[in-house]
Amino acid sequence: MAERASDRLLRMLGMVAYLDRHGGVPVEEVAEQFGVSADQVMADVDTLWVTGTPGYFPHDLIDFDADSYDQGVVRLTEARGMTRPLRLGTREAVALVAALRALDGTLHAALDPAEQAVLRSALDKLTAATGDAASAVDVRLAVDGAPEVAAAIATALRDRRRLHLRYVNASDVATERDVDPVRLVTEDDRSYLLAWCLLVDDERLFRVDRVLEARVLDEPALAHDVPDRQDVYRPHGELVTLHLASRARWVAESSPVEAVRNLPDGTFEVDLLVEQPAWLRHLVLQVADDLVEVRPARIAAEVAAAARAALAAYEPLGE
Amino acid sequence: MPAQIPAHERLLNLVIALVNTSGRMTKEQVRRSVAGYQDAQSDDAFERMFERDKDTLRELGIPVVTVTSAGHGDDIGYRIDLDTYALPPIDLTAAELGVLAMAAQVWQDQAMRTDTTRALTKLRAVGEAPEANDLAVGLAPRVRAAGGALAPLVDAVQARQVVRFTYRAATTGEVRTRVVEPWKLLARRGGWLLVGFDRDRGASRSFRLSRIEGGVRPVGEPGAFEAPGPDELEAALTQWAPREERVATLAVLPERASALRARAVPAPADEPDWSADPAVGPLLAQRDVVHVPFRSGWELADELVGYGGAVLVVAPVELRRGVLHLLRTAAELDRPDRSGTDVEEGRAHG
Repeated sequence: MAERASDRLLRMLGMVAYLDRHGGVPVEEVAEQFGVSADQVMADVDTLWVTGTPGYFPHDLIDFDADSYDQGVVRLTEARGMTRPLRLGTREAVALVAALRALDGTLHAALDPAEQAVLRSALDKLTAATGDAASAVDVRLAVDGAPEVAAAIATALRDRRRLHLRYVNASDVATERDVDPVRLVTEDDRSYLLAWCLLVDDERLFRVDRVLEARVLDEPALAHDVPDRQDVYRPHGELVTLHLASRARWVAESSPVEAVRNLPDGTFEVDLLVEQPAWLRHLVLQVADDLVEVRPARIAAEVAAAARAALAAYEPLGE
Repeated sequence: MPAQIPAHERLLNLVIALVNTSGRMTKEQVRRSVAGYQDAQSDDAFERMFERDKDTLRELGIPVVTVTSAGHGDDIGYRIDLDTYALPPIDLTAAELGVLAMAAQVWQDQAMRTDTTRALTKLRAVGEAPEANDLAVGLAPRVRAAGGALAPLVDAVQARQVVRFTYRAATTGEVRTRVVEPWKLLARRGGWLLVGFDRDRGASRSFRLSRIEGGVRPVGEPGAFEAPGPDELEAALTQWAPREERVATLAVLPERASALRARAVPAPADEPDWSADPAVGPLLAQRDVVHVPFRSGWELADELVGYGGAVLVVAPVELRRGVLHLLRTAAELDRPDRSGTDVEEGRAHG
């Protein structure tokens, strides 16, 4: 997709302000500074060269030193008053500061002191420059799992080392396995470790709060072909439909649902793909109050039987 | 006909002209003298082009101000206010700029992502070359996309402007228009929330952005209400603040519930001797006592019910009642004469 004119305008204004502070800068460095290609920098410079104040005579235009430019160095000689860096818009400041705070809150345990200090100083400087704008938004992400686990995962990812995990799944079965970590994905609900599991020789997603122990091994992690997915959890399995009262809408908002249908009486149906029966049983137990119907019906019988067994276990305790 | 001047170049010429003008430029002056506007084929085309360009500049945070001059009647002129144009002095190290680059990845929301990227472009003008950092190789958290409601609500909170939107209430499923003074936006476990003053209800309320249907429209002028005082805001936020931590005592079958055991803490100092308890004592012959800290009773009850009889709540008794309530309801699920849902007794599902 072609770059938007507004984004390009911002970068060109930024370049003028930047070059005004830096004398001659090689094209590649400018490219790195603004995160674009060298060709893009040269295209931007060519545009800047022909813009200026009305009249557009040579002395009206933004100008560069042509000899330097021939040698691949951008040296600004006339800025036409555009030397000041542009302030951040309100929403820009909000978005950036809130993102930094989210990083700070989530990653703190996984970072070493020097890294924590960089994050903090960036946050402090930005907050000072943008005032109270950022108080409009407050982001708190779930920080799951024990700090030792988070730190071991961070170390293994950074040093590209293999991890030994003790992990308990949704059916409450604990296993030990070695994995090559790929990525830690913290959504607002939970953190997951995406890793190549050597036990099953396939990619697996581990909920960090179910990792009982993580130990960094001496072996290097091998590279595996794991696609970069936006969605964390893509189950495949039996299609189950829950018909729920409106109050249970959180189900549609916090579970990976295939489809939601709002019904005229205010109730709604969600379709779920269920990989782990234990997970579904747990969900149905939680929403029993608001459950109108579950399809297939056998699931209701299974959950009811499990609930009666649990009630029997509770009997000695009374109320 | 000469080649048309592309939009980014015309916009740049407009910015430079409005920054350098002595005083102001009228629309006519812009049309005659700023390179790019001569491409407009008609008065209408020019009007549209100029209006859109002004909007673009303002959207980018470039302060285009209107100036009326007494000597020129109603004739409106424009200039860019350099005092509010500039970023306050800020000096970013290479490592700091590297961290900021990572912050842009936090948002899954397209609008928030665009805003962060723009902010970053502006800051690159004043920073050292960003250091590629391995601060968070593969660690970047992500905030769930909030949908189209987020950007206009951020603007409205900032501008203290009343908003109107259609909202589906979770308790009743009722869909209704709400008129709200927006105070603050929260991203929490489970999604985005707006906290504000509901004008119809005359009280503070919170709204899930995922239940807003359709667009969010500003109503009236900016600055239409007072920002809430700290006490008022805190009261409205109480339900989203972390509650005091308590400790649950659980009787767990051997080898079961490792995830709970991993969170276990030592017994509280005032813990009774459960082995001497006539009801609990015999249970402990086959079970381990595990203490788990918690803040939200219903959240823990929701978790514990998944273990069925493998985990029994010994204390506190409200927590046990919570679990038993879920189990009793679920135990009825296969009864053919079950009368559907019980709407009166509600749990505040956050």
